[in-house]
Amino acid sequence: MSERITVDARGMACPGPITKLVRAYRKASPGALIEVLATDPGFKPDIEAWAKRTGNEIVELSEEDGVIKAVIRVTGKK
Amino acid sequence: MEKILVLGAGTGGLVAANLLASHGYKVTLIERSDTHLFQPGMLWIAFQGHSPSRYTRPVKDLVRPGVELVKGSVAGIDLGDRLVYLADGRIFTYTTLIIALGAQLDYEAVPGHRELVERYGDFYSGAQAAARMWSHLRELVRGRLVIAAADPLYKCPPAPHKAAFLAAHTLRRMGRLDSVEVHLALPFLHEYPSEVVARIVAPKLEEAGVNVSTLFTVESIDVDKGRIYSLEGEEIDFSLAAVIPVHRGPSVKVEPGEVLDEDGFVKVDRYKLNVEGYDDAYAIGDASNAPTSKTGVTAHLGAEVVVDRIMGLDSRFNGRTNCPIVANGEASFVISSYDYPPVPVKFSRFKRMLEDLFIASYWSSLKYPERWAPIFRAYFNATDPRVISGGW
Repeated sequence: MSERITVDARGMACPGPITKLVRAYRKASPGALIEVLATDPGFKPDIEAWAKRTGNEIVELSEEDGVIKAVIRVTGKK
Repeated sequence: MEKILVLGAGTGGLVAANLLASHGYKVTLIERSDTHLFQPGMLWIAFQGHSPSRYTRPVKDLVRPGVELVKGSVAGIDLGDRLVYLADGRIFTYTTLIIALGAQLDYEAVPGHRELVERYGDFYSGAQAAARMWSHLRELVRGRLVIAAADPLYKCPPAPHKAAFLAAHTLRRMGRLDSVEVHLALPFLHEYPSEVVARIVAPKLEEAGVNVSTLFTVESIDVDKGRIYSLEGEEIDFSLAAVIPVHRGPSVKVEPGEVLDEDGFVKVDRYKLNVEGYDDAYAIGDASNAPTSKTGVTAHLGAEVVVDRIMGLDSRFNGRTNCPIVANGEASFVISSYDYPPVPVKFSRFKRMLEDLFIASYWSSLKYPERWAPIFRAYFNATDPRVISGGW
């Protein structure tokens, strides 16, 4: 089973959620899953742009009760 | 008897201690250093050759009568027993505690970072490091100056932009902007975390001759090769580089440990600034996890809120920022609060004059915050993001 890291960025405004994600990403191994929870509405377009430009895969992107959940597989690291 | 203990004589700690003294409270202020550094001054030392003495003052000259200044390094805090331990073994008790210990810089998170700072200096690691950067910049005849960051969370979000503007201005005046490239590598999606601000600052950077890379978060540095590698898989060569270090919460052992977040910042109620679960302890400025920018302005405003609350007033901190972006002869401000994302603020010479006034008033505003409070209040009310939501 691959490593799974959870990042709780609920209540944080831009650029909080991405900041938290980058901190987790620095420590993550290739193939690991990072789950980010955020409430900032700007997080959705930001995470999509981030994943596209860094070559990481979005496994899940959903929203429930105002909480955005993104699961990223670390595929951009050698 | 009430015993107020303030930890740290940075902006927040000094404003809190002096303001309390102005209201007749007895305050003990604990600080490990003899000198206070106006941290934005490091930009001017590093990239415009200003003298460090312009931006440093002895701490003892910045405290009012009524503030007992203790020199010592805080090693531990026990919130349950209301105790503060110093590294030399002294123990202090309190009835109210204000934690204003700032953030610490982590040079180990990025391989090669310590070596880079030791060789070239930077604009975060103190006045001496800034002076070292200047001594290299003035010798830089050709090549590339890289300004970058190891993490998106750092003090003063527009600091790398200011560094690039000031360096480009200096190089232009030296007649070297044709042979030295100023390259700003940012860990954000755009030229600034907020797209609204990015749209205003991007054309100014272009006008100043600064090249920009986005989504470049420093992963490691090879100082001998002159190469920086990013987490995103890119690399950039440099002749001279300054990299903003990873920031963490203060290096102090706190009981209970649950009041610290995973990066060591003190968890607070974002409005009341009390430490989560405690009504007799507060954390202000960079040391707290309040979801706003880490800047002197938030430390200053947070200190005012905490002093009001100690006096029994129901003041709330709204997360207001006022981060200056200084370009050649002009300035803009990043103005936001918890409830309002940054509003569009155009660059102007008038705003640059305001920023120069803030800098000139700095020492006085630390020591006599109550004299400056009505002036700052008028400014903050007039420029409240709700008031200038359409732009300023």
